[in-house]
Amino acid sequence: MIKEELEKLKKEVLEFVEEIRKNSQDSIGEIKKKINDIKVKVFGKSGSITTMSKGMKDISPEERPKVGALINEVKNAISDKLTSLEKECEERELNEKLENERIDISEPSKGVVKGALHPISDVIDRLTDICVSLGFSVVEGPEIESDYYNFEAMNIPKNHPSRDMQDTFFINDNILLRSQTSAVQAREMEVRKPPFKIICPGKTYRNDSDSTHSPVFHQMEGLVVDENISMADLKVMLTTLMKRLFGEDTTIRFRPSFFPFTEPSIEVDVSCPTCHGAGCSQCKGTGMLELLGAGIVNPKVLEMSGIDSKKYRGFAFGFGLDRTAMILNSIGNIRNLYKNDIRFLEQMK
Amino acid sequence: MKVTYNWLKEFVDIDVTPEVLAQKLTSAGMEVEEVIYQNKNLHHVVVGRIIKIEKHPEADRLVVCRVDIGGGNVTQIITAATNVFEGAVIPVSLEGADLVNGVKIKKAKMRGVESCGMFCSGEELGIDEDYFEGAGVNGILILPNDFKIGMPIDEALMLNDVIFDINITPNRADCMSVVGIAREVCALLGKDMKKINLNYDIDVYSKDTVRNFVNVEVNTPNCHRYMAGAITDVKIERSPLWMRARLFAVGIKPINTLVDITNYVLIEEGQPLHAFDQQLIGGEQIIVRQARDGEKIEALNHNEYTLNEENMVIADNEKPMVIAGVIGGMGSCITNETKTCVLESAVFDLKSIRVTSRKLGVRTDSSARYEKGVNVANAEVGLARALHLVSKLKCGKIARGVIDISNKKNEAREIVCSIKLINDILGIEVPTSEMVRVLNSLGIVTKAVGSKLECKVPPYREDIENDYDLAEEIIRLYGYDKYDNLNYSLFKNASVTEGCHNAKLALERKFRNALVESGFYENISYTLVCGDINNKLLLSDEENKLVRIANPISEDISCMRTSLAHSLFQNLYYNLSVGNKKIRIFECGRVYKAKGLPVEELPIERDMLGICVNDDEFDFFDLKGVIENLLNMTSLEYKIVRSSKPFLHPGVSADIVCGDKVVGSFGKVHPTVIKNYDLPSNVFYGEFDTKYLSELPVEVRAFKAISKYPIVERDLAVIVDEAVTVEDLLASIKSSCGKLYYNVKLFDIYRSASLGENKKSMAFNIKLSDIEKTLTDEEVAGVMKKVLKALTFKFGAVIR
Repeated sequence: MIKEELEKLKKEVLEFVEEIRKNSQDSIGEIKKKINDIKVKVFGKSGSITTMSKGMKDISPEERPKVGALINEVKNAISDKLTSLEKECEERELNEKLENERIDISEPSKGVVKGALHPISDVIDRLTDICVSLGFSVVEGPEIESDYYNFEAMNIPKNHPSRDMQDTFFINDNILLRSQTSAVQAREMEVRKPPFKIICPGKTYRNDSDSTHSPVFHQMEGLVVDENISMADLKVMLTTLMKRLFGEDTTIRFRPSFFPFTEPSIEVDVSCPTCHGAGCSQCKGTGMLELLGAGIVNPKVLEMSGIDSKKYRGFAFGFGLDRTAMILNSIGNIRNLYKNDIRFLEQMK
Repeated sequence: MKVTYNWLKEFVDIDVTPEVLAQKLTSAGMEVEEVIYQNKNLHHVVVGRIIKIEKHPEADRLVVCRVDIGGGNVTQIITAATNVFEGAVIPVSLEGADLVNGVKIKKAKMRGVESCGMFCSGEELGIDEDYFEGAGVNGILILPNDFKIGMPIDEALMLNDVIFDINITPNRADCMSVVGIAREVCALLGKDMKKINLNYDIDVYSKDTVRNFVNVEVNTPNCHRYMAGAITDVKIERSPLWMRARLFAVGIKPINTLVDITNYVLIEEGQPLHAFDQQLIGGEQIIVRQARDGEKIEALNHNEYTLNEENMVIADNEKPMVIAGVIGGMGSCITNETKTCVLESAVFDLKSIRVTSRKLGVRTDSSARYEKGVNVANAEVGLARALHLVSKLKCGKIARGVIDISNKKNEAREIVCSIKLINDILGIEVPTSEMVRVLNSLGIVTKAVGSKLECKVPPYREDIENDYDLAEEIIRLYGYDKYDNLNYSLFKNASVTEGCHNAKLALERKFRNALVESGFYENISYTLVCGDINNKLLLSDEENKLVRIANPISEDISCMRTSLAHSLFQNLYYNLSVGNKKIRIFECGRVYKAKGLPVEELPIERDMLGICVNDDEFDFFDLKGVIENLLNMTSLEYKIVRSSKPFLHPGVSADIVCGDKVVGSFGKVHPTVIKNYDLPSNVFYGEFDTKYLSELPVEVRAFKAISKYPIVERDLAVIVDEAVTVEDLLASIKSSCGKLYYNVKLFDIYRSASLGENKKSMAFNIKLSDIEKTLTDEEVAGVMKKVLKALTFKFGAVIR
């Protein structure tokens, strides 16, 4: 008798659950209310299960455990069913909530918008980091320099043809705006004891102005003085530097040249980072870019600065940072580097 | 330096194409900047003869010509030119021609009649009257009758050479000539130099020697060698086409036989020559001497120059005739009337010529060679070659003998160098046999003796002095491509050295990155500015002595900047003018001040950081925050006091002071300066000395223990006079709190009529803490009472 009632109850509840699941138009609130109603109806004070449990006392003691077990079984089954329905309900509720909170992620970001470094500073930062890791120390020197350090100590005597290589801004006969960061070489050699490796980034000046020349520009000088330095060291060091600056597939090539302060002197061509040597407008189709001047330090230069050229040898290199920044960022006209137009600078972000 | 393929071929049997030659020269350090084919725009142009001219049936101004273009071909060409006639020999451009002026020739009908080409003017062939007679006329170039019909025009006019424009480095003065480059070509191609013809016939019928025409005296050490020859019965006329062609190809204007010969020798031998009209040499006496102060000369460029003792002249008994090595004078030069000519071939000191050329502002082909250095042996070759050409061109009779006054020796130098040292310098092993081969090919006679090379360096290679120089000669010809695939590890034989960042650059980098994070753009500006910078910034010239450039490009970049403010204000102005808004910029760079004027010692260079903002949402206190955040990255202990920087608003600006040193300043820009730079009114500017900050001692921090007992907070609002500053109140509160002080912050300033005139209310949040115990209410109340009492006593504060 009870058994049938229990079966009936179980069936009713299961049908109810199925009904609710099918009837998806109901709001969460309605469903919750229905679940609550049925809970009251089944488990409430006068609910069917409660009533049945109460009726246990009327059942013979032999039957009681069996009936009790049956009631429990149905009770648990109904309870499980309703709990899982409630859980589904909560999940649905959460999903609806998440859906409602959905935003347009393409709206603009908030907070302080970053500015940007100047392309030349960026190049200086990169180069100094690389060189420091290779054992170079970073130094600076005066931009308004004596003729001695800029020229004479670099084996460019007064009234010598090699002075023609640079159009210099003069303050007077003996003071000028340094035309090359090489001016720092002698200053450093006078105060340092070999072995040493130094680089010097900074502003340089030449009386020259067009789309590839600016009267104010930047160079970086490198100088290594040690006992057994050779052109091979120069080659490998510059290859390392250029690979780290422009990418692992970068190659460099030496060409003979002339600088009064190096002997032998070379120009260094670097494979074009834009076309990787295939030829493009940046490298004028040659696949290579003329980027550095370098060489073995002329022993006369070492001697003039008090370094024993019989014992020590060195290599030096120098290159234009404006041009390097232009290559790294595909900047066409050098003037743009000095206009400081925000529309230009913000492209460095 | 321009040389031509054909000219080089007179000295070397060149068996490679011009391209290959150019590439070889470049790889050996003679950088060929351009290879120019003279006949690039002369293909499909031939010599033709007009057989018949008829009127065009449809056009009055056109004629129809039947033209013989050789090889039995006759073509029809219509022309509007009026200087053509039947039988005229003319240049004819045929279908496919692509002329120098961009005209491309195609068959076309002109008013219904076919025209198969065009007659050319000299201009259309790229030549002028100086090059070829008739080339300058306004019309068709009428060629001489003996030109072969059908011959390509480039051949007929000798315009078929290839020109190399070579960048000669300053150490290779010996390559400033066809001969010099030919020597390199010999070394590159493994050929021997061909002997050049230096022979000439002297006038055997005359007893006169050169000394009958001129006497020479050298009175200055700046003349290393002076040679002279004499030519009588001079015939001044147009040079032959082959000579004009050579000169024209290298960019020299053909003038007449004698002048062309001097230019020809200049280019070929690198020896400048000067031709005097013998009759115009006063007293038939040439004196080489330094000029006298104030001596004047009218030069061939029609300018008059006033000379001084620095300048060397070639003078006669009375007057300077030539500024030695630089430019000739009008008074003694060759004219069409010249009968007898004295030809000078001299070598002067390079420094002397350079100084004169610079000081007078005169650069000529002659000075360009002398100031790089001409070898004393060259004078002899140059003079002989010139006399050979006189003889060949039959433009005069050559007198017996030459004058030769020389005061400088010219001998091959011997250098003994170490084979090992050369390999150590190069870092690669060059076989000794290759070293010997290369050096010998360059004319450096070399033998390997044991571990040494014994080298005889020819006089013209004055640049070669030691092992390093020889190492360069060896490697540039042995080939730098040997380094292309080098198997060598980084600093293989070198010492390990410590890599150190520069303190100032590193600090600047921290500042730069922090500013970028807070929305600033970094600027880099010209450090060269206009001379009115101090005026515009209201700075005193006395304290900011301008460093002025003696040779500026223009007035607006003629001085070194004395303040970053100028650069940033200009950049701000530029950005606003192009429509950029909300501008936050900064620059790390130097400012420069002379120690005294005129500048006698190196000026002071200060490394500064400048910050400039124009943004409606940015005020003084935003700037103060930016500046404080940066300064807090350093160990600087500073005070902020009112500033007296002239370019800042006196009421809205502050100085950053450490001891008695003003490290920097910031504030609103002074309205007058705003006007001077044409800027909007609310511009803020700040700057400080980054070098000073980078030299501060490393900060040693001392962390304080944090009490485990609770912090007590109390708010206090007081009404004070406007003149009372936050700084004063904060200091007073802090001192009243004594050892219980933890922190105090201003959180509100309120102004209202109800507070009274010139009054403000300031609200503080005070935090107290005791490291040893929990504070009792009584203790806190006691402190707060003390705080208020002090504020009332010192500042007349009233609790609100």
